[in-house]
Amino acid sequence: MNVERRGQDYLAALRPGERARVVRPPSSRRLLALGLRPGARVEVVLAAPLGDPLEVRVGEALLLLRRKEAASVLVERE
Amino acid sequence: MACPRCQTPTLARPQEGRVAFVGNPNTGKTSLLNALAKTALEVGNWAGTTLERVSANLRHGERTLELVDLPGAYSLFPTSPEEALTQHELLHHPPEWVVNVVDAGNLERNLFLTLELAELGLPMLLVLNLMDEAEAKGVEVDPQALEEALGVPVLATVAVRGRGVEEVLHRPPCRSSYRVAYPAPIEEALERVLQGEGNRWLGLALLAGEEVEGAPEELRRRAKAERERLLGEGLDPFLLILEARHQAARVLAERATRRKALKTSLSERVDRLVLHPLLGPVFFLLSLLLVFRFTFVLSAPWVDLIGRAQEVLGGWAMALPLPFLLRSFLAEGVVAGVGTVLAFTPVLFLLYLALAFLETSGFLARSAFLTDRLMQAANLPGKAFIPMVLGFGCNVPAVYATRALSHPLDRLRVALAIPFMSCGARLPVYVLLAGVFFPREAPWVVLGLYLLGVGVGLLTAIGLGLLLKAPASEGAMELPPYRLPPLDLLLRLALLRTRSFVQGAGGIILGVVLAVWALLHLPPGGLSESLYARLSQALTPLFHPLGLTDWRLVGALIPGFVAKEVVVGTLGLSYLGQGGLEPLGLWEGVLQLYAGLKAALLGTAQGVLALLALPSFGFAPEPSPLQAALAQSLTPKAALAYMVFVLLYTPCAATLAALKEVVGGRWAGLSVAYQLLLAYGLAFLAVRVW
Repeated sequence: MNVERRGQDYLAALRPGERARVVRPPSSRRLLALGLRPGARVEVVLAAPLGDPLEVRVGEALLLLRRKEAASVLVERE
Repeated sequence: MACPRCQTPTLARPQEGRVAFVGNPNTGKTSLLNALAKTALEVGNWAGTTLERVSANLRHGERTLELVDLPGAYSLFPTSPEEALTQHELLHHPPEWVVNVVDAGNLERNLFLTLELAELGLPMLLVLNLMDEAEAKGVEVDPQALEEALGVPVLATVAVRGRGVEEVLHRPPCRSSYRVAYPAPIEEALERVLQGEGNRWLGLALLAGEEVEGAPEELRRRAKAERERLLGEGLDPFLLILEARHQAARVLAERATRRKALKTSLSERVDRLVLHPLLGPVFFLLSLLLVFRFTFVLSAPWVDLIGRAQEVLGGWAMALPLPFLLRSFLAEGVVAGVGTVLAFTPVLFLLYLALAFLETSGFLARSAFLTDRLMQAANLPGKAFIPMVLGFGCNVPAVYATRALSHPLDRLRVALAIPFMSCGARLPVYVLLAGVFFPREAPWVVLGLYLLGVGVGLLTAIGLGLLLKAPASEGAMELPPYRLPPLDLLLRLALLRTRSFVQGAGGIILGVVLAVWALLHLPPGGLSESLYARLSQALTPLFHPLGLTDWRLVGALIPGFVAKEVVVGTLGLSYLGQGGLEPLGLWEGVLQLYAGLKAALLGTAQGVLALLALPSFGFAPEPSPLQAALAQSLTPKAALAYMVFVLLYTPCAATLAALKEVVGGRWAGLSVAYQLLLAYGLAFLAVRVW
């Protein structure tokens, strides 16, 4: 999977405090159910002490996402 | 409000009087149930699973209602075992109506499930819970707008404070008149699948390629054909259906909410502190320490009281005008057995209380966040950490705590690792032996044993994962906001869970205690002529390779199956002839009980004050008579082997009962064999490697 356009990146690449919108649904149905779907607003809140997992705000909810999972979500920085 | 009168059959007939509480995880379903049913709450298991089932039977006017709390679900197209169970229950044991509990501050995501429930065609009442949190977030929700759009009654509540809850059972529920508008190809395909009858949700699920147990063959066939046709045209029904539902949920949510101002949530600000790279782990370890202190400092006086009551009752039984064997059976068999069961209850109650608090306050999810990276190495979710650590306190609640893990294989792997976490009851054995044979290095020997247990436990979990080809564990989960849970709910849940332990494990423990009593006292005579002595002597050759040649040492391991606390007591009994109950007068017993109760209350009061003091390791400086006796019959090498064996072999009857409940009898049985082999093997190594 290549990053398709400028300004697009994977959620895992965002630094704490950065906001973005999901542009492509993740392949994991669990992530979809948790609210990571196209158009959803996301913000990386912080990373765990060992750098993994991430705390991510998705819409109105806070999620724990492993880096590996966050690397499967394509987003566009806002 | 008029209800549409269309009949939408599910796969089974709805059950009269059953009301199911359905909603996303962490929306306060259990709090709402508690606010409605208070003392009627019951805790059990979902049939055929180890998932906890919270329900209540309630008199309601003329009828009795059964309120059931279904596991949290984001969707009825399941992506977790909890969701699968919720879907199964709604389809195969449908309730008379559904109470759909929704997080008012997160409408868009929550309404996705609501739309599925509407398509299922069950009468519904929508409860907008957590209104106070929504307000704090700057979200204003309009129940009226939702009511008009969905065609079901909508209530606004704050369940933890009991606000708005009394209406929940009095508003008549209603089938939703709302229909999600799917793209034309989907609507047309659905038409051809259902042919004017049946259930919209089911048709869509089959079109999306979901496996729905018990769906009519006819529907299944038609759906398969339509699905393949759509896929052939390059359309994925699953994605189209999901997209349309999301879109509908978004529009509905926008219509019903007004944002006043976007505020950073309090939880995020707290997280920046609690999950701070440096402060986070420190804070986490301190709070774990506090949980342990809370449990053991506060439970100790009550465990002592139960022990004293056991002695008094036993003493009374010994004073009865009955044959000696019968008196002893009552005192040292029945009373001791019931006492052993009850002695667990203070520890369990307090640990369950702490656990319930951690779970509902949002701290448990945060601990998963901090430890997830470590647990990934063992291919386990971060949530597996807490049950393992709890094992150091007591294996029993730790095994039950694995229920928080959603995947059965994860539960199994962690549950089978827990017995190797050295619980508080094993410590006296180490203190006794290490104090004699390694007086200088005692703390290090004990620490080493603990670490050995952790290592064996982790390797067990990893090995089982490889053996059973566990799929890569999922990390993704919601971090619920920090909340102050209602104390009455915590107390109630802890009490119910403790009670269900007594009911579930009590019989097993009592049985083992009675069996051990029989070994010790039959045939009548002294201890050295008993079955126990003969069995111990028969087993002793097996332990020669470990350097253990004294039958009294080997024998003490047998009652150790009941509880590790009794190993030291049994050694005392067989080496020094200590123990045994003296007959006791009635008045003397009453006085002792009174003194015991006073001591327990005082100890609790002191315990509360001492909670924040640092724990100390106490090693008896003076060797006791028992230690002197042991020094004669053991070498340091053999003492080490003995301690390793005690660390690793089957922890106790209560843990076995817990394992049986959580992973099933077959695995529990296998785990016993595994523990025994491993204990023997490593104790043997300890002797060789010396």
